Amino acid sequence: MNLDWSVVWDNAGALARGTELTVLLAVVTMVLAVPGGILLALMRLSRSRLLSGASASFTELFRNLPLLLVIYAAYYVLPLALGVAFSPFVTALVALGLNVSAYNGETFRAGIVSIRKGQSEAALALGMSRWQTMRIVVLPQAARRVLPVLASTWVSLFKDTSLVSVISVGELAYTAMLIRSRTFRVLEMLTAMAVIYWSLGYPQAKLVDWLNRRFGVSE
Amino acid sequence: MSRQDNAAGAAVVLAYRDVHKKFGDFVALAGISMEVRKMEVVCLIGPSGSGKSTLLRCTNGLESIDGGEITLDGRVLPRDGRGMRAVRQRMGMVFQNFELFPHMTALANVASGPLTVLGLPHREAERRASALLEKVGLADKAASYPANLSGGQQQRVAIARALAMQPEVMLFDEPTSALDPETIGEVLNVMKALAEEGMTMLVVTHEMSFARRVADHVVVFERGSIIEQGPPAQIFDAPLVARTRDFLSHLGWEG
Repeated sequence: MNLDWSVVWDNAGALARGTELTVLLAVVTMVLAVPGGILLALMRLSRSRLLSGASASFTELFRNLPLLLVIYAAYYVLPLALGVAFSPFVTALVALGLNVSAYNGETFRAGIVSIRKGQSEAALALGMSRWQTMRIVVLPQAARRVLPVLASTWVSLFKDTSLVSVISVGELAYTAMLIRSRTFRVLEMLTAMAVIYWSLGYPQAKLVDWLNRRFGVSE
Repeated sequence: MSRQDNAAGAAVVLAYRDVHKKFGDFVALAGISMEVRKMEVVCLIGPSGSGKSTLLRCTNGLESIDGGEITLDGRVLPRDGRGMRAVRQRMGMVFQNFELFPHMTALANVASGPLTVLGLPHREAERRASALLEKVGLADKAASYPANLSGGQQQRVAIARALAMQPEVMLFDEPTSALDPETIGEVLNVMKALAEEGMTMLVVTHEMSFARRVADHVVVFERGSIIEQGPPAQIFDAPLVARTRDFLSHLGWEG
């Protein structure tokens, strides 16, 4: 077998731009999906059956559809439904955001209900409102408790951004596949992709371990 | 004039009139009537599950009542959220399991009420919190997290946290039941000092010697009812009701 790695170096600039877009996609998705998840969790746990039902329907819809399908749907349905054509990047953000928000919602819900009742009672007994109790006492503890789950969602998301290549968002996977089809250097491009995804993902996993040690709360 | 003499003629702070509470079919409170006067220490004693803690939790609205009424300074407790919140600010509560906020330092725990509920500026809230930590003997633990404090220390911080709201009444729900025997004394000493300053206190406790020495009035609960109430000398030395005597001798109380 004849490997020619020069194809990687020759296209280093394009790969770097693709990598940038991958990181940007993952970061912006998470920035949207953390508050989204908290909102879904609070709605789900609220006493209003309407809010709770809406949150549950949203969650079960987007958690149980393949991400690839959601991406295609956002690409073809969104412009028809809203009458506006979004860029592939924004479309990708919508699809990833819906999916990850649904997962984060369940994560935060589990975190919130895991905080024992005595904690909110202590806050209420001080005279805090229900919202202050949630914001100052329950959510900060819940967030620390679910940090490992959020982190593994993040690691999945980072890799799942590759799926939006199907709607020609020029992120890492799309860029690598484009170079492959132009040069027919399949093995080289797959290897380059693997090396880039892994070497970005591994430090993140280590960072998450460190965060857990640093901010984990023991009782 | 001693504190006891003062309490006898003092104004009624909390009054319970025929208070009922059910959990499903279980009758937790079957018509409780009693009073707590200003500067008085009232101890609630009795077997587990007899309704003492439930009465405390109904007092600051953590549980709702099904019948009767509770008044604070002569006014019936409101049942709506806003009104209840205002009432809770006037009552401090100390829990069996401390319930300190584990993600906050001791100082931040104590400052949390004044900061969020009273809206005090940071510096003022922390000044108040420091003074209270000093008062409970924990000035050196201000920066410690609850996980690094002993049970007795945590409970003293919890008392300081409740006091930070400058309440008119303090409610203690079995404050020493979750403690190691060697740290019970430090918590009881803080409570005793508080009583001597004239704080109005309603205390659910299994510490009979504390009730005997510190209480002005002792109320004996059994199955959601009051079977006897009176000064500690009566309850502990010459109970009028046989079941009070049974309960005390069951605990090994020798008078």
